[in-house]
Amino acid sequence: METGQFVQQLAKRDGASDGSVLRANVGRITVTRAASQAFFRVLKEDFGFDHCSLISAVDNQTGFELVYHFSIIDMEGQMLEVHVELPRDTPTIDSITHLWGGADWHEREAYDLMGIYFIGHPDLKRVLLPDGFAGHPLRKDYVYEIHEEEW
Amino acid sequence: MSRQQVHGNPRLRKGLGSRTSDSATVMEDPPSGDWLTLRSDQFLKWVDEAVYNVAEKTGIRDVVNRVTRPIFNWGLRYSPWPLHFGIMCCALEMGAAGGPDHDTERMGVVYRSSPRQCDVLIVNGPVCEKLRPKLKTLYEQMADPKWVIAMGECAIGGGPYWDSYSVVAGADTFIPVDVYIPGCPVRPEALMHGFLTLQKKIREQEPGYFLRR
Amino acid sequence: MAEMWIHMGPQHPMTHGLWNLRIKVDGETITDAEPELGYLHRSVEKIGERRKYFMNTTLTDRLCYASAMTWTHCYCLTAEELMGVEVPPRAKYIRTVVLELQRIASHLMWLASYLPDLGLITGFLYGMRDREMFLNLLEIPSGGRLLYNYVKIGGVKRDLPPGFDAKAERVMQTLERRLKEYEDLYDNSKIFRMRTDDVGCYSASDAINWGITGPNLRSAGVPFDLRQADSYDAYPELDFTPVTTSAGNGRSDCFSRYRQRIDEMYQSMDLVRQALVKMPEGKVMAGSVPVRARGEAFRRTEDSRGEALMYLIGDGTDRPYRWKIRSPMFTTVSAAPHFLKGYKVADVPAIMGSIDMCIGETDK
Repeated sequence: METGQFVQQLAKRDGASDGSVLRANVGRITVTRAASQAFFRVLKEDFGFDHCSLISAVDNQTGFELVYHFSIIDMEGQMLEVHVELPRDTPTIDSITHLWGGADWHEREAYDLMGIYFIGHPDLKRVLLPDGFAGHPLRKDYVYEIHEEEW
Repeated sequence: MSRQQVHGNPRLRKGLGSRTSDSATVMEDPPSGDWLTLRSDQFLKWVDEAVYNVAEKTGIRDVVNRVTRPIFNWGLRYSPWPLHFGIMCCALEMGAAGGPDHDTERMGVVYRSSPRQCDVLIVNGPVCEKLRPKLKTLYEQMADPKWVIAMGECAIGGGPYWDSYSVVAGADTFIPVDVYIPGCPVRPEALMHGFLTLQKKIREQEPGYFLRR
Repeated sequence: MAEMWIHMGPQHPMTHGLWNLRIKVDGETITDAEPELGYLHRSVEKIGERRKYFMNTTLTDRLCYASAMTWTHCYCLTAEELMGVEVPPRAKYIRTVVLELQRIASHLMWLASYLPDLGLITGFLYGMRDREMFLNLLEIPSGGRLLYNYVKIGGVKRDLPPGFDAKAERVMQTLERRLKEYEDLYDNSKIFRMRTDDVGCYSASDAINWGITGPNLRSAGVPFDLRQADSYDAYPELDFTPVTTSAGNGRSDCFSRYRQRIDEMYQSMDLVRQALVKMPEGKVMAGSVPVRARGEAFRRTEDSRGEALMYLIGDGTDRPYRWKIRSPMFTTVSAAPHFLKGYKVADVPAIMGSIDMCIGETDK
C-alpha cells in the first residue's frame, strides 16, 4: 500500500487528524489521547505495523507530547510517526506493551526521564536512573547544578 | 576489652567484618598460651603482642624491612595486575593494549576478573551516580597494596559530560587516584606509559612490607 | 529446589560493559532474568540540548565507542534532514566506505570479546590483531584511532587521501584470508559448536515483537536491512542484498548470530570495494550549513547492532530543543529474559555475548 493511501485511511478514524507524508514511505499523523489505544490496535492488526521503533516523550512546556515511530519489517520499510498530546497536569496514557513487546522499555524510559505514566504497563519503574532519584531530568523545568560558564 | 583495642592493625580489622564481632560475644575464650587453638581475632592479638611489638622494639623490623624492601618492591613493580573492568571508550583501548599489537602482558600487566586478585583499579570512563557506590565497593574489595589509575578525561574530571546531571566530576572525588592519564580516548601507548609511571611511583614511594601496619 | 537470584555485574567478565544481569536460578536452570541498566547513564540527550548542533558529534562519537562512525553518521543524517542540507555525492560515497569499514571493525571487536567467553582465547588475540588494521585504516582520513569525529553535518571532515583505496584493498585481502582461517578454526571447533548450537534460541516472529533488529534479527532469517529499506547515502547505488542466516525454521541461535556477523563482514568488504570503484570526484562538504534549525526530523540507519534512530526537534535556535536516540541494544537487552529462560547458568555468557552488547548506546 502507498504511504499516502494508508495515511488517508488512518486519518479518517476517530480522533485522528493531520495525516501527511513526510518523505517517501514515511507518514505522520496526530491522534488524541482518548482514541490512541483503539488506533494503535488497528495499526498493529489491520495495517501490519509490527515493529515499534521508538517512543519519544517531548516536553512542550505547555504540555507533553508522545511521538511514536512504528515501522513494518519488510524491504519497503514503511514508517508512521504518531503524535499524541498529553496535558501537563495528567501525563498519562494507556500502555501499548501488550501489542508491541519492544515498547516495554521505551515506556519505562519515558517514565524514568520524563515522568509519563503508562497505564497498564506490567513493570513501570525506573530503568536508567537509580531508584530514589528525585524528579524527571529530561523535563525542561528540571534544575540541576552545572558549571556557570556557557559554551 | 573492646574490639578496637584488640586489633591495633586497621588493615586486618577491615577484613574481619561484622560477623566475627557477633560470634565473639557468643563463644568462650579458649585457654591462653596455646596459640594453635586461638580464634582468628585472638590470633591477631597474639601476633601483635608476640611478634610485632617485639620486632618493633628490638629494631628487627627495620632491619628486615630494609633488606626485603627491594624484593617486595621489585615484585610489586613488575606485576601490577589491573582489574578487568570496563566502563567506556577507554575500556576498548585497555583491551587493545592487552592485545597482540601492544601486549602489556610483557610489563606484567595481567588482567584479572576478581578484585581480590588485583593491585590496580583502572577507572576508564565517566563515573555515574549509580556506579559510584559499586566502584567504591570494588576499590575496597581489593587487597592492599592497591593503586588507582584514572584513565581518560571522563575519569579525571567528567570529560565531555562535565555538565551532566548524572556524572561525577572525576574519580578522585571519592577514591584516591595515583596516576592520571589524559586523552579522549587514551591511546594504548599512553596507558603503557601510565603503567610505567606507576612503576616509577612504586619504586620511589613504597615502603617495605615486612610486618607492615 | 529453592530458587535464588544471582547478580552478574556490574563487574563481571560476561557483561562486556557496565550493566547488571540478575538471573533467578532453580538449581542451574534459569527461570527468570532481569537486566539492570543505568550504570553508564551520561544523559547525552539532556546535555545535547545545551550544545550547538555541530558540537553534538563529540557526544555521538562516544555513544557507542565500538562503532563511533555509524552513530555520528546517524546524527548528521538527522541534522541534515532537519536543516535541509544536501550532501555532495563524493561525501556520500566516502561515508559509505567509512561506515562499512567501521562495521567490520565493530564485528571484529565483537568476535574478540565473544570468543574468550567460550574458552577460545585465541579469538581475542586474532580479533584484536585484525581490528587494529581497520582502526589504522580509519585513522588515515580522520586522525582518530577509536573516536573519529569524521562525519560532519553536510559532509565529511576531509577527503580520502590518495592511495587510500590501495591500502584498503590490501587490508581487506588480508582479512578475507584470515576470515577463512577463522571459519576453519571456530566452525569446526567442537567446544565452540557445543556452546553455541541451539543455545539462546528465539523465533523470527518473537524477535520482531520484542523489537530486536539488525544482525540479531537477520540471523533468524528475516531479510530486513535498513540500508535498503530506508536507504541513505550511496547505498541505493550499490548492488547488494541483505545476508541472512538461520538455525532452521526461522529461528536464531548463538551460532547463527556468529555466522551472521562473519557473513556481514564479507558483505561489508564487498560494499567498500563497490563504493571505492564508483566514487565520483568533487567536494566533500556542502557549501553552506545553517547553524539554526526549526522543525522536526528523524532518520534511521543500520548501525552495526541494529536499527539506530534519531529524532531531533529544533526551535529556531542553534541548539536542539529535544534529541531522542533509539538504541538497538536497549530493546534487544530488554528481551533478554525471554531468551535466557530455560538455559543453564553457564550458557549466559554464550547468549548475552552473542547479541553484541554495547552499553554506551544503551544507557545513553
